[in-house]
Amino acid sequence: MIAELGHLALCFALVLSLLLTVFPLYGSYRGAAGPVLLARPIALLLFLLTSVAFGALCYSFWANDFTVLNVASNSNSLLPWYYRMTAVWGSHEGSMLLWVLMLSGWTAAVALLSNSLPLILQGRILGVLGFVNVGFYAFILLMSSPFERTLPFFPVDGRDLNPLLQDFGMIVHPPLLYMGYVGFAVSFAFAIAALLGGRFDANWARWARPWTLAAWLFLTLGIMLGSWWAYLELGWGGWWFWDPVENASLMPWLVGTALIHSLAVTEKRGTFKSWTVLLAIAAFSLSLLGAFLVRSGVLVSVHSFATDPSRGLFLLFFLLVVVGGSLLLYGLRMRAVRSQARYQLFSREVLLWGNNVFLLTATLVVFLGTLYPLFHKELGLGSISIGEPFFNSIFMYLTIPFALLLGLAPWVRWKQQQVQPLLKPLGLWLVGALVLAVGVLSMYQTPSANVALLGLLLGAWVTMATIGEIQQKAVQLGGVPGLFKLQASHWGMVLGHLGFAMLVIGIAMTKTFSVEKDVRMKIGDSVELNGYTFMLTDVYTLNGPNYGGQAAELEVFKQGERVTHLHAEKRFYHVTQSVMTEAAVHARLSRDLYVALGEELSGPSWALRVYVKPYVRWIWLGSILMSLGGLVSLLDKRYRRKRNPTAAQTGEETHA
Amino acid sequence: MRKALFYVPLAAFLALSLFLLSGLFSDPRDHGSALIEKPLPAFSLPDLQQPERMITAADLKGEVTLLNVWGLWCPTCNAELSFLTELRQQGVRIVGLYYVQPVDAAFGDSFDIKALRHDVEQKLAEQGDPYLFNIVDEKRSLIFDLGVTGAPEAFLIDRNGVIRHHHVGDINPQNWPQLQQRYQQLQEGDPDAL
Repeated sequence: MIAELGHLALCFALVLSLLLTVFPLYGSYRGAAGPVLLARPIALLLFLLTSVAFGALCYSFWANDFTVLNVASNSNSLLPWYYRMTAVWGSHEGSMLLWVLMLSGWTAAVALLSNSLPLILQGRILGVLGFVNVGFYAFILLMSSPFERTLPFFPVDGRDLNPLLQDFGMIVHPPLLYMGYVGFAVSFAFAIAALLGGRFDANWARWARPWTLAAWLFLTLGIMLGSWWAYLELGWGGWWFWDPVENASLMPWLVGTALIHSLAVTEKRGTFKSWTVLLAIAAFSLSLLGAFLVRSGVLVSVHSFATDPSRGLFLLFFLLVVVGGSLLLYGLRMRAVRSQARYQLFSREVLLWGNNVFLLTATLVVFLGTLYPLFHKELGLGSISIGEPFFNSIFMYLTIPFALLLGLAPWVRWKQQQVQPLLKPLGLWLVGALVLAVGVLSMYQTPSANVALLGLLLGAWVTMATIGEIQQKAVQLGGVPGLFKLQASHWGMVLGHLGFAMLVIGIAMTKTFSVEKDVRMKIGDSVELNGYTFMLTDVYTLNGPNYGGQAAELEVFKQGERVTHLHAEKRFYHVTQSVMTEAAVHARLSRDLYVALGEELSGPSWALRVYVKPYVRWIWLGSILMSLGGLVSLLDKRYRRKRNPTAAQTGEETHA
Repeated sequence: MRKALFYVPLAAFLALSLFLLSGLFSDPRDHGSALIEKPLPAFSLPDLQQPERMITAADLKGEVTLLNVWGLWCPTCNAELSFLTELRQQGVRIVGLYYVQPVDAAFGDSFDIKALRHDVEQKLAEQGDPYLFNIVDEKRSLIFDLGVTGAPEAFLIDRNGVIRHHHVGDINPQNWPQLQQRYQQLQEGDPDAL
């Protein structure tokens, strides 16, 4: 009964999303306020109904209603209640429902918060969002209903959630990631609305910026959590695997990062319009492409949902309409747009253009690396695979010029910058960065570690240049109190850049100085790694709610002093008959100690994998700092300034 | 010219869609291994149960054989054992290729075939023994030559010792019927059947 209620709510939601497409677009076309104003309650109702559907599925999981197919295949009565809730989005169908919940949520937020926009623009934005909604509601109802029943032959108990997904990281990772993916739909809608109207002014960029920042912020956190989750759950101590699905989330992130920078240029200088619009379309298109890759089974990955060509066909068709349509519109409209702004070769515009170029190159690398095996195979050239070394080396080379530019750009003025005045202060900070990098590295005994030095140097350069720029601002604004006059978005930039510096340092240090050992240990044995002594003190049988297995206790010493106690588990999930590693991690800013318990060997002894990973935390802390930068920018006052749409504006844009 | 540039993204996207469309209808797990239709590479590796006996490619000829790459360290392989045992009871000739993981000599760990034999025998006694015999590939040389990307994987080898099919992933009741078809075609001796 509850499940049918959810299904019914989704059906109504589909109808509402159709209305949401038709009314505001018609209103904008006709210049009539009535139909546009109607979009707001429709959007809110859409969100409400989707919440009802989502709530119905949650209830089915909560109540262990195994007559619902999705519950029977992804949950189990032994599963603790919090994992029963996460199981809601553990399957393809449930995650699609989460996806539409978020899409309708963003749509409702746009409807509520876009009061200050001209009505015509509001109508177009909501209409485009409505259209995107239609596609996903149709997909979920026709191809992947989460409310299908197993009646009349329902099972007594369910098949359990994939044990990989039974983790705290999984509770928050997909919602954040989807918030990011779906959030780019709003930037996309802004871009299409601008293309329809043919107007891309500074106001438009200022309205689009906070939405893009918000989506980017969620995506950053989502990717970070995914990486952290993989680190803990997969038991290989890795934090990024260049898996097709990870790549699918990285591509919109890279393009989204380029987009927030490009939007800044469009807002401040009224130029880069064709870049900005293309990036906004690309960010959402890549989110859709990611959804297609994960759900169609074109690429194989540990993350893939079960494959079904008809789902893939539907998504491909939707992709063709949305992406193909918007790119066609882009070609038709953009050729008429001219930028008036003039700028010299050495100016902030050009440096930000460089940022776009590097980020897009990086996206292209990920794109080709992910899809090249597909191209290769479909051209009849056989199967190949592209692995980590390819991505790692190219990303290393891309990071060098990118980080150099990143440190420099905030110092450079818009339009034109003389080289001379920058040399002295920047030279000083550069020397500072050199001293810092070499100094930190000299603490490690291997000065031959070039990658680490390079990463440290780049990170230190970005840090120094960013701090230096703030120091310069402080001088200009009359001391430290003057810094309070800086706009929030400026502080956002500073935080974002410092976060990036941390990320680069973390990656370079972890890649270079991580050590690992596969060992066979008996109780009482100890192994030494990088100055730490790991002693296995106990191994015992586990008795979890839906799993058994073994747990190992270790004591860690450094130079005779006890550092910590570690607890690693190897779980065996009864229902799905699968084995999962729960790694033990002791985290400090400068290093992680990481132990994964392996197979029991004869003896009795156990296989253990022990790692010391310096600075690995910096990767995630840097990402958190970047998202914090996004949040601070988002809170900038100028995005919340109220503007009353005047009749004159409405009239003017009708003819555009 | 400048105007045409704005259509480049559209053209690139349409080209991509063609690939995605054709990708939808082909099996991504279907690896065209470089060794398909080629004879087994030459090797001489010990039998796990009788390490003094060396197995060569000639030992796999004569009958259609399913060469199964596996290891105790691989949970999916262990889960697969009981189904493979059923297949053995149905008369499928299964030979194991044991994937030995690298050992860290620096830690004083060395490869001990006796310990491994003990562990394997214990496991097979618990889960069922599908194997006619097990080849131990300590240096992973044959595994490398075969282009194995992980475990479990399996190869169908015909009477003449020619590799006819490469299966990536476990063999289970769902995907066996498809594999069985090829197995039976080879069994019936149709050299062109694939």
